[in-house]
Amino acid sequence: MKLVNDRSLSLLAGLFLCICPALTAGAQGVDDALLLHPKADSWPSYHGDYTGQRHVGFTQITPQNVSDLSLSWVFQTNQQAQIKSSPLLVDGILYFTVPEHIWAVDARSGHMIWHYHRPSPKGDHIGHRGVAIYKGWVYTTTPDCHLISLDAKDGKVRWDKLIADVDKGYWTTMAPLIVKDHVITGVSGDLDNLTGYIRSFDPESGSVQWQWNATPKAGTPNATTGGMTWITGTYDPELNLLYWGTGNPTPVLNGHTRPGDNLYTCAIVALNPDTGKLAWGFSASPHDTHDWDAVEIPVLVDGTFHGKQHKMLMQASRNGYFFVLDRTNGKSLLTVPFGPVNWATGIDKDGRPIPDPNKEPAPDGRIIAPDEGGLTNYRSPSFDPKTGLFIVDAHPSWSIYFAKPADGAYGWAGADYGVWGKGIIEAIDYQTGKIRWSHELGDGGSGAGVMTTASGLTVTGDAHGNMLILDTSNGKTLWHAGTGAGIQSSPISYELDGRQYIVNSSGGLLFAWALPEGRIHAKGR
Amino acid sequence: MALPWAVNVRAANSPAGQSHTDSPLPKDPGAESYAKRCAICHGDLREGNLPGFPPLLGISHRMSNDKIADLIHVGKGRMPGFPAVKDTELSELLHFLTTGESATTAAGISASGSTLSQAGAQLFQQNCAFCHGRDAMGGETGPDLTQSRLVRKDRTGDEIAKVIHEGRPDNKMPAFNFSEQETRGVIAFIRERQAEAVAHPGGRRGVSVEDLQTGNAAAGRRYFEGAGGCSNCHSPTGDLAGIASRHEGLELEQRMLYPENVKSAVKVTLPSGQTIAGTLAYRDEFTVALRDANGVYRSWPVKRVRYKVDAPVEAHVDLFPKYTDDDIHNLMAYLQTLR
Repeated sequence: MKLVNDRSLSLLAGLFLCICPALTAGAQGVDDALLLHPKADSWPSYHGDYTGQRHVGFTQITPQNVSDLSLSWVFQTNQQAQIKSSPLLVDGILYFTVPEHIWAVDARSGHMIWHYHRPSPKGDHIGHRGVAIYKGWVYTTTPDCHLISLDAKDGKVRWDKLIADVDKGYWTTMAPLIVKDHVITGVSGDLDNLTGYIRSFDPESGSVQWQWNATPKAGTPNATTGGMTWITGTYDPELNLLYWGTGNPTPVLNGHTRPGDNLYTCAIVALNPDTGKLAWGFSASPHDTHDWDAVEIPVLVDGTFHGKQHKMLMQASRNGYFFVLDRTNGKSLLTVPFGPVNWATGIDKDGRPIPDPNKEPAPDGRIIAPDEGGLTNYRSPSFDPKTGLFIVDAHPSWSIYFAKPADGAYGWAGADYGVWGKGIIEAIDYQTGKIRWSHELGDGGSGAGVMTTASGLTVTGDAHGNMLILDTSNGKTLWHAGTGAGIQSSPISYELDGRQYIVNSSGGLLFAWALPEGRIHAKGR
Repeated sequence: MALPWAVNVRAANSPAGQSHTDSPLPKDPGAESYAKRCAICHGDLREGNLPGFPPLLGISHRMSNDKIADLIHVGKGRMPGFPAVKDTELSELLHFLTTGESATTAAGISASGSTLSQAGAQLFQQNCAFCHGRDAMGGETGPDLTQSRLVRKDRTGDEIAKVIHEGRPDNKMPAFNFSEQETRGVIAFIRERQAEAVAHPGGRRGVSVEDLQTGNAAAGRRYFEGAGGCSNCHSPTGDLAGIASRHEGLELEQRMLYPENVKSAVKVTLPSGQTIAGTLAYRDEFTVALRDANGVYRSWPVKRVRYKVDAPVEAHVDLFPKYTDDDIHNLMAYLQTLR
C-alpha cells in the first residue's frame, strides 16, 4: 500500500523504492511477493498493483523531455475487435487479449511469442479486459463464461472450467484477480434477470473455492436480480479484504418489481478473499433505474483525510458521484458529484445519493444526467499521490429515459436515448471533491483510461484518437500522437534494460513508446 | 453482515461437473459465422431485439446481397462494420442470412386471423417491425400504423401498397419488393393490428407519439418565447413552420433537445491576415479544418492560425441543466401545434 502525505515528499520518495528497477537474472514468474510489491520490470496484474491507483514511480520520462517521446514498436492483432484489455508484463513478455484471443509479445521488440485462439460461438463479444498470471500460468475468461488456464511459456491449455451458464444470458469479459491461492472471477449479463456473483477458483486444480452472490435467486418475490461483477477488483493485504464493484439491478429501467435499495447492486463490496464472506457493502446507487453499474475501479489509498490518517477507498462512479470511503468499515468520508447529475434529491446520512422518484424512467420521458454510459465507465482512473489528485476520464452527458407498464419487467424494460455528451479529463481533489483542473477531450467522449507517473505525467487519450500526455499539475498537453482509432484501454508503464516504456492501444493495435535510446541518461533516482 | 443468499460453495460442489457440455459447432459455417458475429444483437434465431436491433429474417426481401455485404463491411448507425468477413465466410454468411426459417415463433405476435394475415404477420415481423414495432404500433423510428391517417382512409389498400412498393425516401422508409400476394398479407396484418388497437386502447411498448402528449402547449409557447430563449434563433412561422408535419414523437423530441449533424461555421485567420470562412469540418486541440465555399477541405495546426467557431447549436447544450421535465413536455406540446 502506498501512502499519501502531501507534506512529506521525502517519505513518498522512500516508499517508491519498493518499485525501483531491479535487473533480474532469469524468469521471476509471478508469486505473492511480486503481486504485493511489483517490480519496475513487471505489470503483474490488471491494475499493475493491488491498489488500483495506476500510478507508477518512474521518473525517466518527464515533463521536460516528454517532447522527445517516440514510437518503439507497434503490434498488430489483425483483428476487427478493439483492444480493451490492460496488458500484463511478466519476465519481459506482455500478455493481452481481445475476445477469443490471447497474445504473448516480447515487451522489448513487439515480436509475437505465441497466440492462442479459442472460438466461442456463444456469448457476448463486447470486449475483453485481459489475463491474470500466477506461478507460470495464465488465467483468462471467455465470452462463453469459461475460466481457462494456459502455460505462460507457450499458451497450451492446462484446464478449462465453467464460471457461468452462457445459455442463461451470462458472458465474461473480465481479467481475473489473483489473491494468494485464489483466482477470482466475475460475470456479465444484464439483458436477462440473472444473479450476479463473484466466484473463486483454486489456481492449481481449477476447483471452485467459494461463490458470493450479489443478489437473491431470480424469481424471489420483491427482490432484485443483477449486480454483475465485470471489472477486476482491488485488494488490501493488511485487512485481507477484497474490494469489488457490482453492476446494475434487473429489470434495468423498471424498478417497480424490486422495491428498496436492491442490495448489492450498484454497490462497492468488501469480501474476505479466503471465504467470500461479505465484510461490508456500500450502495453507490440505491434502487438504480438508469443502468449505472458501480463497477468502476475501487482505488485504495492510505493517507490523510481532513488531517486524520485513513485507509481510504475512492471511486468515481458511473452515476456521477465521487465517493471516498473508509475501507476498514465502508463508512462514507465524502460523496460529491463530479459533473452534471440531476437524479438525486440529496445525500443521506450514510453518504449515499437519494434517488429522486420523479427521475425514474416514465412514459413521457425524464431528462437525466448523466446518460446510460455514465459520467465515467470501466476504464481506469489514476490516483497521483504527490498532488492528491484523482484523475478520471469523465463524460458530462444528458439523455431521456422512458418506461411504462407495457415495457414489462424483464431485461431492459424501458428505453433510453442519449441526447448529448462530451469527454473531459477531471483532476479531483480527493479531500474536497473540487475539480482542480479539467481538460476537454471533444464531443462524444473518450474511451481512454488514465495513468500517472511520479515525474508528473498524466497519460490518456481524447475523443478523436489522439494519445495525450498531460502535465499532472495543471492538465496542459505536453505531448500527443494521433493513433488512428479510438483508444479503449488504460495505459501501463514499465522499465526494461533501464528504459521506461509506456504501452497503450487503439483499435486493434498495441503501441510501445519510449525516449530514443541515445537520450536516456543513466541518472540516479 | 453476510446475507442469506451469500453461499459458500466448496470444491466438492464444483459446477464443472454439472450439466454443461460444450455445444458442438454448428454444421453450417454461415450459421457459425452468424452466431459469432451477429447473434449478439440480432438474436440467435435472427429474430432481432426490438426496438434496438432489427430482425434479419427475410432480409432478402429488403436488400440485395450486395447491399447486405456492404452493410456487413461498413456497418450502419450503432452497427459496427466487419471488414474481415470476406471470401468464403462472406458467401456462407450471405447464404445463411438469405435462406432459412420464418419468424412466427420468434415474433411474439401471432396473427389470429386469416391465412392471409398470418403470412403477412411473418413478413411484417421480418421486414417492418424494426421501425413500426412488432405490433405495428410504432417502434424506434417508424410511426404507429394502427393510428396512421393513410391506413385509416385507404379503404382499398392501394395507398398502403404504393407506400410499401415505393417507400418514402424522404422519411427513410425503404421500398419493399413484395409480391402482390405478400403485400396483401402485410396489409391484412396491419388491418388486424388496427382492429386490435381500437379494441384495446393503451398498453403499447416503446415510446409512441401518444406518450408524448402530456404537456401544455400554451406553457410551451411561453417557454419558447421566454425562459427557453428558443425564439432567439427559431420562429414558428419561419424555420419551424410545419415542423410537426415533418417530424413526430420521439424523433421530434430528440431533434428538439439536440439536433444532430448541424453544421457550424468557422472563420480562420492566417498569419498573413487573410481570412477563410467555411463549414467546420474537424477540430481537436491540435488541428482545425473547414470546407470552403467550393467544398474544398483545408486544415491548419491551431497554433499557426486564429479561428472562431460559430456554433448556435450549443444553445441547446446550455439548456440541458435548466430544463424541468415539464418544460420539455410543454415545449413538445407547443411544437406539435406547428403543423
